[in-house]
Amino acid sequence: MNARGRLALLAGRFLPRDRSARVAWLAALALSALLLLLPALIRLDGRPHADWQQFLGRFHPLAVHLPIGLLVLVPLLEITGAFRPALREAAGFVLALGLTASLLAVALGFLLAYGGGDAGPGVSRHLWGGIALTIGSILCLLARSFPPEGAKGVYPATLACTLLALVWTAHQGGSLTHGSSYLTQYMPAALKRFAWPGSATPSANSFYAQRVDPILDSNCVACHGEGKVKGGLRLDSYAALMKGGQDGLVIVAGQPDKSLLLQRITLPAGHKQFMPAEGKPPLKQEEVALIKAWIQQGASSTANAVAGFSIREDRAEPPPQPVGDYSAFSAEIRRMDGAQGAKLRPVSSKPEDGLILFTVDVAPSFGDAQLAQFQKFAPYIVEAELGRTAVTDASFDTLRQFTHLRALHLEETRVTGSGLDKLTPLSQLTYLNLSGTAVTESAVAPLRLMNNLRRLYLYNTPAQPAPAADLTRPIARNTP
Amino acid sequence: MKQHPLCTDTEERLSVGDLPVPVELKREWSWLQTRRHFLGRSGKVLGWAAMASLAGDRALRGDASGADAASPSGTASADRPRLPHFAPRAKRAIYLFMSGGPSQVDLLDHKPNLAALYDKDIPDSVRGAQQLTGMTAGQARFPIAPSHWAFKRYGETGTWVSDLLPYTARMVDDLAIIKSTNTEAINHEPAIMLMNTGNMNAGKPCLGSWLAYGLGSMNDNLPTFMVLQSKLNTKENNQPVSSRLWSSGFLSSEFAGVGLRSAGDPVLYLTDPDGVDREVRRKMLDAVNEINRQTFAELGDPETNARIAQYEMAYRMQSSVPELADLRKEPQSTWDLYGSEAREPGTFAYNCLMARRLAERGVLFTQVYKRGWDMHDNVTGILPIICGETDRGCYALVTDLKRRGMLDDTLVIWAGEFGRTVYSQGGLTPDNYGRDHHPRCYTTWMTGGGVRTGITYGETDDFSYNVVKDPVTVRDFNATILHCLGIDHNKLTYKFQGLEQKLTGPTPAAVVQGLLA
Repeated sequence: MNARGRLALLAGRFLPRDRSARVAWLAALALSALLLLLPALIRLDGRPHADWQQFLGRFHPLAVHLPIGLLVLVPLLEITGAFRPALREAAGFVLALGLTASLLAVALGFLLAYGGGDAGPGVSRHLWGGIALTIGSILCLLARSFPPEGAKGVYPATLACTLLALVWTAHQGGSLTHGSSYLTQYMPAALKRFAWPGSATPSANSFYAQRVDPILDSNCVACHGEGKVKGGLRLDSYAALMKGGQDGLVIVAGQPDKSLLLQRITLPAGHKQFMPAEGKPPLKQEEVALIKAWIQQGASSTANAVAGFSIREDRAEPPPQPVGDYSAFSAEIRRMDGAQGAKLRPVSSKPEDGLILFTVDVAPSFGDAQLAQFQKFAPYIVEAELGRTAVTDASFDTLRQFTHLRALHLEETRVTGSGLDKLTPLSQLTYLNLSGTAVTESAVAPLRLMNNLRRLYLYNTPAQPAPAADLTRPIARNTP
Repeated sequence: MKQHPLCTDTEERLSVGDLPVPVELKREWSWLQTRRHFLGRSGKVLGWAAMASLAGDRALRGDASGADAASPSGTASADRPRLPHFAPRAKRAIYLFMSGGPSQVDLLDHKPNLAALYDKDIPDSVRGAQQLTGMTAGQARFPIAPSHWAFKRYGETGTWVSDLLPYTARMVDDLAIIKSTNTEAINHEPAIMLMNTGNMNAGKPCLGSWLAYGLGSMNDNLPTFMVLQSKLNTKENNQPVSSRLWSSGFLSSEFAGVGLRSAGDPVLYLTDPDGVDREVRRKMLDAVNEINRQTFAELGDPETNARIAQYEMAYRMQSSVPELADLRKEPQSTWDLYGSEAREPGTFAYNCLMARRLAERGVLFTQVYKRGWDMHDNVTGILPIICGETDRGCYALVTDLKRRGMLDDTLVIWAGEFGRTVYSQGGLTPDNYGRDHHPRCYTTWMTGGGVRTGITYGETDDFSYNVVKDPVTVRDFNATILHCLGIDHNKLTYKFQGLEQKLTGPTPAAVVQGLLA
């Protein structure tokens, strides 16, 4: 037997005898090989290339939904085909269509990554996933059209694998666009603990971890993270953030003006270098201010306070918890008014909005003892105006019982902050004013544990930071 | 003739019923003519009178809650709360009133295209059939006068601000600038009355009085509503500002604004004369109060009680006002912020500082008046002066409130009674121009409790002449202020002259949702 004959025999053992099937197998092999070689032939070097590639590539996010929809339809048709054979017949057509769409999506996706200079592990994962699932659907089509004798399970198994690859790839793609925490960001905390035991709460209470990182995570990490590393810059960890990217450092501690990151996010929208790029929504004003204040005050990873900065989050404050029914106390409340001079007033016509304690008339004579007499109404008081009164640190013992307290005014009192940690169980407290007192930075540190405390005022205290800017020079920005 | 059902008199004679008069008049006549009806009504009147005397006079008043909340002893009933209608975002307000009509074209409403239209006539299509004031109605031409000053963009919001307001420019991110405020009045007195009382005619309670009436006092030692007038600058054209603007109208005079003088003692005769000590003063007051109470028992005029309350307030102010006006304990950072001008009583900067101190002391509503914005000529000469007087004070007040954590629950409002025309009144020269009153659009701002900051609300056309987007009428403006303080403008009413009177008047007003945080 000559060599040629031997080769034919060998091929004959693996390839179907039928001529059309043989052609199909060969074509499939060639196509698969091409797909597998694609990343090797054209390397993703992380540099942007021709604009037309990006132009076409940006249709990738649109085109990907076609194969997803079609391929998911295939098993449905196969199963429902048991009851209506016409549907099973259609499955082959849909599968072929899905394969075509996959090829198109892979091509566009590759153009997007290559043209836009995307590279990184996330991009690679998505790319290989796409290739795998396309080859999977080729195999599916083959196995369905020319079922191998004696192995009925090959097609369903291949289809199942392809679909798994599809789900995984789609998730990788989604993570590239929206960031890896997109799906789980609003997952109920209980579910999160269940899904990732041990990693439920961030261990760090630092200002960076609690305030800065979430902003970067939701706005920047999609392109500057583990998945995509545009401009060589990653913003998904403190170390990476401080390391900078291709253009050097992006954060210069204490110097917001020299920090590239701040420059880019404060350019006029529409500027070529404005970040976030690609039409993603710009950072909110409060977010920019927060990052700026953080840089200004040293861009520390451990400091748990950017003191004096009023912390406002765009997330809505927690809805106020209604207080209980205090109508039984109304006579007593009126008596307190007369006896103490301090007033307990309803917040509004709705009793569940609670009471405000006003002491301004009698402030100089209103001390810890007077406050203690309001203990009885503690769960109904949502706001205590104790500014300029004679209360001291001893009052924290009383105040800790004001379980529904949302705002506490202690400005210009004699409190020094010792025992402030007694307030940390007040889960409703969103506002605390300690201006003009002797509190120090270390005294207010425990307050950082309070997740709902949005506004902490430390003006004119030892805990107040140095003034942020020269007050006499107008700061013109975005001057045309 | 059809007989009235109650009338049994069947005698035939010429009757009103046969005359060609409207049927309502006939009916009214027949009512008046009917003896039984007269007797029936008289009986009811007696019944009502008896009931009223049993229920006390409060039953006859429109709204019991206001009287309750504002009773001088401060015993707001915890068991019958009515106001605020809902949880407020602001507990107090400071209103910086720029009397005379600041020129929006030169301050905050930037119109870059106007430079090219210098001395061109404003198109008739823009002006429309508007009736002008007597001051410019006779002008042959209405030449466009572009602002003399350059505008730049400031803040993260990139808001355009004139070079005249370098300090305001620094806080644009904290403001809600309303470019579409518009009024119906074109002259000072009606316009300023409309802004303050919701009505062009005098006699209605002003915003501050409505607030005092509705919300009551947080501090019994100071008035609920205070008015600070800034010193006059004779270079400016000062339109009169009268106590009608802080009058309580038909509400009890307890709710009228109390003015602090701009020079000398903040309140006249506050210090006891030599030889009169606190105790003597107290005894004298007790005696006067006793006489007043007798008068009240005799005549029943509620204003007598208001007078007693005012005497008592004055007595308490003898100790609270000196403490208020004592600025020695202000830290150096205060003077760095407000400037040394703030040390001089009566300056706008001083009044801004005082407004902050009043807010700290629980005063519900403080209105600071600055006169002199009325610039019919010599805009380039006067406007820099008045901006120099007010710009830093406004910035200092907002910044001070913010750093002290007070901006969260204090509403700050900056407004005049109208704007000024884009066309020049009198001669237009390259260096100078005048501007007439302009009611169709003017710029105001708000910040603080309940206000969405860092926004510009409403738009005007290319000539800063007409509002093209999101108009804010005076009543909408006032309804929004009330809303920030937890008041539904439709529910804060007082029965007077047969109407449920309210600040925003009978024309429907709407809270401007776009301004709310």
